[in-house]
Amino acid sequence: MGIFKQFKNGLINENPVFVQLLGMCPTLAVTTTVIDGMGMGLATTAVMLGSNVVVSLLRKVIPNKIRIPAYVVVIATFVTLIGMFLHAFSLDLYRSLGLFIPLIIVNCLILGRAESFASKNKPLISFVDGLGMGLGFTWALMVLGAVREILGAGSVFGIQLFGEAFKPAIIMILPPGAFLALGVLVAIFNWIKLRRVKNV
Amino acid sequence: MREVIKLGLILLLITSVAAIVLGLTNSVTEDVIQEVEAEASKEARLEALPQADSFKQIDEDIFSKIKEENSKVVEVYVGYSGEEVVGYAIKTATPGYGANIEVITGISVDNQLTGMKVGSHQETPGLGANATKAEFQNQYKDKSTDEEIVVVKTPPSKDNEIQALTGATISSNAVTDGVNIAREIYNSILAE
Repeated sequence: MGIFKQFKNGLINENPVFVQLLGMCPTLAVTTTVIDGMGMGLATTAVMLGSNVVVSLLRKVIPNKIRIPAYVVVIATFVTLIGMFLHAFSLDLYRSLGLFIPLIIVNCLILGRAESFASKNKPLISFVDGLGMGLGFTWALMVLGAVREILGAGSVFGIQLFGEAFKPAIIMILPPGAFLALGVLVAIFNWIKLRRVKNV
Repeated sequence: MREVIKLGLILLLITSVAAIVLGLTNSVTEDVIQEVEAEASKEARLEALPQADSFKQIDEDIFSKIKEENSKVVEVYVGYSGEEVVGYAIKTATPGYGANIEVITGISVDNQLTGMKVGSHQETPGLGANATKAEFQNQYKDKSTDEEIVVVKTPPSKDNEIQALTGATISSNAVTDGVNIAREIYNSILAE
């Protein structure tokens, strides 16, 4: 598969959230606003780029039997590194990401890409795969965050959209709202995909 | 048996490399982190007690007395405007939904809450983490230290009430606990 196709694969065709349904824990937990969704998505992308490249470089060194603990160590190391650098050099961002950072370690999307792609492919294409999957994850989280923020708080990017008369549906920024919004979005995404296939 | 040892050694090698990388990074970032945290605390103190232009840590004897009364107090700073004492900035750590929430409460010598800032915390983004927003923190401003602050879920009707964050009652209570502890410490020890 070519580099561009691999990139598009993560972005749309095999979108981590809407198609593979991977990384559901952060997807449901942190998409109360667009900004939070974007922060989580970009932090995950950064970790995945690092872990995909390292796992790909080590793919002939790591024995099959201990691959899972080895991958987890690589991922946890990158997450901790990013956490320390953010804390030291960008306190505001670190504060607003807060809990997101340690959550990235248990994101099954990253482990999933290490296992199913990076461990079988060369570093460059693994990097592109990480970029595509990461950005695919990011935009999915932003869309989910936008839907929940608009309905649940009446704002986008923290800017109020409606006047005083608008009563936000608070349920949308609470956990049940995450399931409702995700379910509807997955349905819409797959409906569009199916229609496109039929037309061709 | 031999395979187990081989696998163990490879894993040991990988984790050792990870440990070295993390250790080196930590030695670089550790000091910087302490510096920026100290700077952030200083700014938070200034925001909590805007009347003051300089701060000094409180006398050790008084601080140990405060600690005895309530161990959740982390730091107490005396705020000065020139030579005159204008108030106190009291940092507390109270258990929230995630971990302890650091709250810096400013109290002026004329028994008023001058402000409140939430420092480091691990509350849920979008819910409890909204405690760091100005709209929530400003609710505590200009309240009297005489009455206990109470969290309500509807728009407040009394002077000593503040409105809880949507979907984050535990975080709201934890922050308010911090402010109330600061208030009690002020009333029982600092005001005298």
